[in-house]
Amino acid sequence: MTIEETKKNIEKNIDVVSESIKLAKEKQDEYNSFVTIIESYEKNKTESNISGIPYALKDNVSTKNILTTASSNILKDYIPVYNATVYEKLKNSGAVLIGKTVMDELAMGGTGTTGHTGTVYNPLDSSRLVGGSSSGSASAVALGIVPFSIGTDTGDSVRKPASYVGIVGYKPTYGLISRYGIIPYSSSLDHVGILANNVKDIATVLNVVAGHDPQDMTSLKNINKNYLDNLDNDISKKKLFYIKEIVDIDISNEETKEIINNFYKTLNKIKENGIEIEEVSIDKKLLSAIYPSYITISCAESTSNNANLNGLSYGLNSNKKTYQEMIIDSRTKGFSELIKRRFILGSYVLRKENQDKLFLNACRIRRMLVDKMNELFKQYDALILPTTATVAPLENSIADKLSDEYLLLDSHLIIGNFGGYPSITIPNGKVLNMPIGLSITGRIKEDDVVLNIANIIEKSDENV
Amino acid sequence: MIEIDEIKKLANILMFEMNEEELKTTQKEFGTILKQMELISNIKGIDKVEPMSFPFELEEVELNEDEVDNVITTEEALLNSKNNIASQVVVPKVVE
Repeated sequence: MTIEETKKNIEKNIDVVSESIKLAKEKQDEYNSFVTIIESYEKNKTESNISGIPYALKDNVSTKNILTTASSNILKDYIPVYNATVYEKLKNSGAVLIGKTVMDELAMGGTGTTGHTGTVYNPLDSSRLVGGSSSGSASAVALGIVPFSIGTDTGDSVRKPASYVGIVGYKPTYGLISRYGIIPYSSSLDHVGILANNVKDIATVLNVVAGHDPQDMTSLKNINKNYLDNLDNDISKKKLFYIKEIVDIDISNEETKEIINNFYKTLNKIKENGIEIEEVSIDKKLLSAIYPSYITISCAESTSNNANLNGLSYGLNSNKKTYQEMIIDSRTKGFSELIKRRFILGSYVLRKENQDKLFLNACRIRRMLVDKMNELFKQYDALILPTTATVAPLENSIADKLSDEYLLLDSHLIIGNFGGYPSITIPNGKVLNMPIGLSITGRIKEDDVVLNIANIIEKSDENV
Repeated sequence: MIEIDEIKKLANILMFEMNEEELKTTQKEFGTILKQMELISNIKGIDKVEPMSFPFELEEVELNEDEVDNVITTEEALLNSKNNIASQVVVPKVVE
């Protein structure tokens, strides 16, 4: 259900919040979207485009007096004493928070299987996963529980699960939405994002949550746009590009082949509307370095960011005899294996003897890639690619690593985080009767252009 | 290849324990990542590139004025601590 449809229901005096809470509870056992369903809420009479609209927040968004676990055992009882700015803004606009959603533990991992309260299942086929890390935020929208939700995206964590459940997932320019009060994963890559049923709803919510925040020193200043204004602009003069090495690949996997074929069909359809799309070549070695560089940078930053999770002043408390033993006990029991492995890697690449060859080389790859993209963005308005290499994986087929065969196709979304570019996925057909997505990434601070292009493509698709 | 002892040492620094299975999985995963990172160091011209630690240059970064803001109460500060006495978090005695 869209925001507009929900508003119509409000006009008909339907209690949309109660309906939303009821549906959340009904669907919880089967799909596990929520860590917490919030049944008591205060009605806020503020008039805005989203007043009275129920929504959900990923459980790494701090909510005063409401449990915020980041789906980790170490924070299973943690109750923040302040609000994240994004929550504060939504609250002040009159939207109604009905739940905190399950995520991959501490936002690491992309499967939706590592949260401390269990796996999140795909609303379109419950034998399949949702992906992650904004797993419950994606499933809650796809199940029709809420018309929009908030997630976070460090590598692809809003866009991939959105694509796997057939909805729209958007991450803005780095710094456009404040990160104050978000439990951090990797500070130079973390973004707050929005999940919804269409591009217009994304723009509606963005108008509420975007804007400078003095509490976040990476927050952008002086960007005052109405993101609904330019959604329907003519895009026939826009120039798009795709990267040859990512889609022109020799592949045995039928599912991926079909996804690529579908992408080429989409390109032709867009071209028929007069939009220019060109194929661009980028050194394959550089593209192959995206995923290992991402893992290196994000693990290094997360190791440091999560050093405060020691179980003393908050988090999982232990009864050991010394404070060192208490910390070790809390962290051993509090983190799952995946998190420990990532911290080990992060700590290893930051060691003095490894730092230049591993951590700094990853940061050098980041610059090389971003420089290349910025050069291309001088000629083109946006990069267009299939969002993922496969449809949502079956539960028993998943491993949290990527196949060499389609590594590039399944890791290109990271480009958006490396360069802080606005990036969106919109539904773009089906393979194996499961949704697949189309990814559109544009220049920094041109979120309105990306939303405009996505909106026109989304609408032209509806007209077919 | 990273030795199991090295992983144990890192886990010790990071203040958590890993069981035998976790150590082995970590060792295996390291093999893959280190191999990929080895390929990266062979990329032409990489040694001449300035490492990037931020998505783009921020035009202006200001530190907030040193003013009291967002004050929380003592009760709030202790809300998540299970063991506290007289407005202090209780930790084990460190001096025998």
